[in-house]
Amino acid sequence: MASRQRYDFLLYGIFVAAILLAPLMLEEFWLNRIAKYLVFGMLGVAVALSWGYAGILNLGQGLFFGAGAYMLAMSLKLASPTSLQQGSDKPVPDFMLWNAEPGALTQLCCINKGSFIWLPFQSQWFGVAMGIVLPVAIATITGMIVFRNRISGVFVSIITLALVLLVRLLVIDAQPLTNGFNRLTDLAWLTIGAFQFDPYSRATYYLVAIALSLVLVGARLLVSTRAGLILQATRDDETRARYLGLDVPSYQIFFFVVSAAICGFAGMLYVMVSEFASPTFMDLSFSITMVVWAAVGGRSSILGACVGAILINMIEAKVSETKALVEVWKAVVGLIFVLVVLYLPRGLGGFAHDLLDRWRARNAEAVPDEGLVAERRDTVAERG
Amino acid sequence: MAATALTIDGLEVSFGSVKAVNNVTMTIAEGELRVLLGANGAGKTTLMDLISGRTHSTRGHIHLYDTEITNWQEHRIARAGIGRKFQIPSVFRELTVRQNFEVASCRNPSVFANLGFGFSRQTLARIEEVLAIVDLRDKADVTAAYLSHGQTQWLELGLLMLQDPKVILLDEPTAGMTAAETKKTAKIINSMRGKHTLLVVEHDMAFVREIAERITVLHLGEVLAEGDIASIETDQAVRRAYLGSRSIS
Repeated sequence: MASRQRYDFLLYGIFVAAILLAPLMLEEFWLNRIAKYLVFGMLGVAVALSWGYAGILNLGQGLFFGAGAYMLAMSLKLASPTSLQQGSDKPVPDFMLWNAEPGALTQLCCINKGSFIWLPFQSQWFGVAMGIVLPVAIATITGMIVFRNRISGVFVSIITLALVLLVRLLVIDAQPLTNGFNRLTDLAWLTIGAFQFDPYSRATYYLVAIALSLVLVGARLLVSTRAGLILQATRDDETRARYLGLDVPSYQIFFFVVSAAICGFAGMLYVMVSEFASPTFMDLSFSITMVVWAAVGGRSSILGACVGAILINMIEAKVSETKALVEVWKAVVGLIFVLVVLYLPRGLGGFAHDLLDRWRARNAEAVPDEGLVAERRDTVAERG
Repeated sequence: MAATALTIDGLEVSFGSVKAVNNVTMTIAEGELRVLLGANGAGKTTLMDLISGRTHSTRGHIHLYDTEITNWQEHRIARAGIGRKFQIPSVFRELTVRQNFEVASCRNPSVFANLGFGFSRQTLARIEEVLAIVDLRDKADVTAAYLSHGQTQWLELGLLMLQDPKVILLDEPTAGMTAAETKKTAKIINSMRGKHTLLVVEHDMAFVREIAERITVLHLGEVLAEGDIASIETDQAVRRAYLGSRSIS
């Protein structure tokens, strides 16, 4: 087991090195794109944590991603030049002005009924902090209600799914406050001291790449703690864990919240890279897409799910821009999903583990390795 | 006389109009191994559910030593010192045998206390000990899902040993086992004797003879008889209710 872990960390090292060295080979347009995919990779990490390790299939990860994105976007919107030219010395988002009732005061406090909640967002760091705090708060409350009441399995999926759709509806409906369908656009760049993060710069890419590396390694370390082991135990058999005296819900809530925090963080990074926040982040299809990434990459492997997300997005970009495939690219991507699910039920991560074990077994002079045999049977069992 | 480990006092639970357990009173001394006998539907498993908190009683009290644990949540009862083995073996199937044991060794229930890595040398040594007792040493790194039925049962017994509760409830520990496996199970259970107070539900009379000191017979949710194995085997009421007219085979 110990040597398996060493290989694991070697793979993580290779991945981190690869994303940090990528700028040497790529021009800035591609850097921006890859940075987006790295953000999606971070979402893969979040899904692997909650689905693969906790056994909680959250179909509403987009809620946390969207919450993080909107919190930062509100701050960046107020810092944008478009908010500073509304005939007031204090910033007012342009869309609020367009929708304002005649004679309304052109002030953030009272241009419309709810606009005062934007006031603290004049500080960029308030937005950054809220980008983590809000997802964590929502996840804590949801988690307490769901897991303390022993709701599990498909019902958790249904509740989270309903929740993300509900919030999406609220965001669209609160058009005077959120600009609804029209998204928050024309955002300023994140500023640290005197430095501005131009989304098409290497600096932004490195920020995202380093953030992903930290989250990735952090999540990997987290699951190898005792708490991570107990979490996997609760996934396998909640009742057994409970009768060993473990407070199962507190483990589920903790990891649900960590997963939500990672999503919120990813949402903020996405806003920096793409310069908008949109209710489409909370579309059902986006949350389900995240789950597909993790399934292809291997939900029981944090690195696998992360790589899966990045690879799928790269393939999608390549295929959709190939002339011959413009009409059918979605079918091509769909076919890849089907093949992976049929032939690599544990995803790319599981496949990589199998290869590694096989290679190690050969190195060990073909001594039958229990772990390997178990691993193979595992594959067969899951296929059956 | 030894202290009383488990006191059950006038315990009752009804499901609709059925009284599954009706006014059951019994005490089990510290270190005792008590066998619960009874036909299907006699209320044996329900009694275990009540003690371990899976089912809430409608009347009566349960004390673990001096602590009343009636209707507590399962994990609190487990923390207080009651461990349970299920009729259908219940282990962490996707973890290895060793990892199963590591989970059972986590003494502190809190998430934050468990955010560290690894286990103390003492704990690891104890895990090796238990691996030897339940004879799973050469399977330590095998995923639990690939153990045989008997091995899975022993794994679960091992989990209980590491949890180290004061009182252990065993629900048909030999169900579905071969004769050889049953023998080995008896050996394991005998090795737990003295360190824990045991309450065992069992049907296999050969096995009961091997382990039992005192037997409590349940019938239709009530205590029918209590005594050592010889007095139970000759008890007329037990024969009528549980064994038909035949003697215990």
